[in-house]
Amino acid sequence: MRTTVLVSAIARKQLILLTRYPLNTASQLVGLYIFFALLFFGGQAIGGPAIGESLSGLIVGFFLFTMSVTAYAGLSWALTREAQWGTLEQLYMSPYGFGRVMAVTVGVNLLVSLAYGGFILASMLLTTGRTLTVDPLTIVPLVVLTLGSAIGVGFVFGGLALVYKRIENIFQLVQFGFILLIAAPVDAYPFLRVFPLAQGGNLLQRAMRDGVHLWEFAPTELFVLVATAVGYTVLGYLFFQRSSDKARRDGVLGHY
Amino acid sequence: MSQPSVMVDGDHSTEFDSTPAVSVRHLSKSYGDLIAVDDVSFDVDSGTVVGLLGPNGAGKTTLIKSMLGLVVPTSGTVEIEGISVHDDPTAAYGHVGAMLEGARNVYWRLSVRENLEFFAGLAGHRPSEVRERHDRLLDQFGLAEKADVAVNDLSRGMKQKVALACTLSRDVSVAFLDEPTLGLDVESSMDLRRELRRLADHDSMTVVLSSHDMDVIEDVCDRVLIVNDGHLVADDTVRNLVDLFRTQRYRLTLDALPPDATRTRLAESYGVDDDEWTTTGEGVEFEATLADGAELHALLGVLLDAGCAVHGVTSLDSDLGDAFLELTDRASPAERGRER
Repeated sequence: MRTTVLVSAIARKQLILLTRYPLNTASQLVGLYIFFALLFFGGQAIGGPAIGESLSGLIVGFFLFTMSVTAYAGLSWALTREAQWGTLEQLYMSPYGFGRVMAVTVGVNLLVSLAYGGFILASMLLTTGRTLTVDPLTIVPLVVLTLGSAIGVGFVFGGLALVYKRIENIFQLVQFGFILLIAAPVDAYPFLRVFPLAQGGNLLQRAMRDGVHLWEFAPTELFVLVATAVGYTVLGYLFFQRSSDKARRDGVLGHY
Repeated sequence: MSQPSVMVDGDHSTEFDSTPAVSVRHLSKSYGDLIAVDDVSFDVDSGTVVGLLGPNGAGKTTLIKSMLGLVVPTSGTVEIEGISVHDDPTAAYGHVGAMLEGARNVYWRLSVRENLEFFAGLAGHRPSEVRERHDRLLDQFGLAEKADVAVNDLSRGMKQKVALACTLSRDVSVAFLDEPTLGLDVESSMDLRRELRRLADHDSMTVVLSSHDMDVIEDVCDRVLIVNDGHLVADDTVRNLVDLFRTQRYRLTLDALPPDATRTRLAESYGVDDDEWTTTGEGVEFEATLADGAELHALLGVLLDAGCAVHGVTSLDSDLGDAFLELTDRASPAERGRER
């Protein structure tokens, strides 16, 4: 079967859902911007010029946070919503297979995350007047690989939602955990690199603040990034598969 | 009363030479100690409409979801168009559409046509390839004027029709419909019944539908499966099921109340208690449930021997509802209310 048809169907649906109620989508973006503006202007009011020293780090961190939360929530929340809407079982019965449907959904969500990230980055740079290195050849691969681990986490919590239902409060706690992971001091504590988002966050900071290009990073650093991206995505997906099997054994796949 | 004998355990498989559209063999599903479906077997032949009846908690939904692979059975096999649903689900899903939660099966924020196109895309069809099919469905379901309206803005009946149209948005040979007429007004329900019959008669589609609405089952279905406490307790045509009960209850009208000795004998032998007798303009009448025609003759013999003038004997009409209640009456009430 042609995967392009599935990609087109899911992308179209996502686009319609995003644009049919533009105020809802706009409010999400504006909400994110206001959150950043509070941090920035609040920091300026309290810390004065000192905020300038950490501003670049704040912008890059917030840029990555926006995308990772969008990618993660796009999966975990989406599964919960599909169960609420009664459409999850229809997705399961696709002749493409549930795994393929979810993989395409993840891909489409990734593009949405990048769009959200691009918007919020541009807004932050305009607001602060700060200049950062935005080399797409470096930024895009780093971001995509970093989001791989967020997607893996999304698969895990999406799988848990299939079995246990109504765990939205845990979803939100995980989002706060992302802040800690993105800001993890991996240079001081190298073992932290194996956690989701940590290695990617570190490399992205150096690429955007210091202008380091992708090919200038040490191979071991890139290896850790790729390994954590692939590892978390695969492990998350396997967990999700086992969770959906358990949900089917327990007869609760479509329940909410 | 003796229980009627009804065909169970896939008796219909011998009536047709071709591979059945749906074949269920020894399907069981347990949740811990609770047995939701217990060793159910049957076949559904192509181009037929089969109704699944059962009281609440009888195991209908678990049975349908097990047949679709949405619930993993404890044991047993299900084949759709000869393909094992549990071994090769994606191949089987190429032939089957399902409407499981009524109007909840579709995206309310999308328009009617967008829903049709999405669900067709989910099965590998580009919108341009199924445009004509969708136009036809929209016409058939009276949704053409609402094609570009968000489902959220439609009435419940229309939402239900959209859900059914989405099930048929691609070329499937088997459709599973769980309570398709639930919440519909009379006119919409009649429309839907006509459409289901047309799908079977003209498009040779196989339909398995569950419903609490006896009228829907009687109107539409070629065959009825009655499930109770996870067991298949009946598998036969609507007519046969109704006939089984039609011949067993009679109303007899006499010119006057028989002597005490005769009434005592009627009570002892045929269960006609004193409170069964009612006085009418023509005399008196009572109702009796009998095992067969021979028992009716014997009862008439008792009355005639006692010198009673029998004015009339009426075979009381039974309907599918009576048959259903008789067949499901075997379960203990405690068992019946369980949620599955």
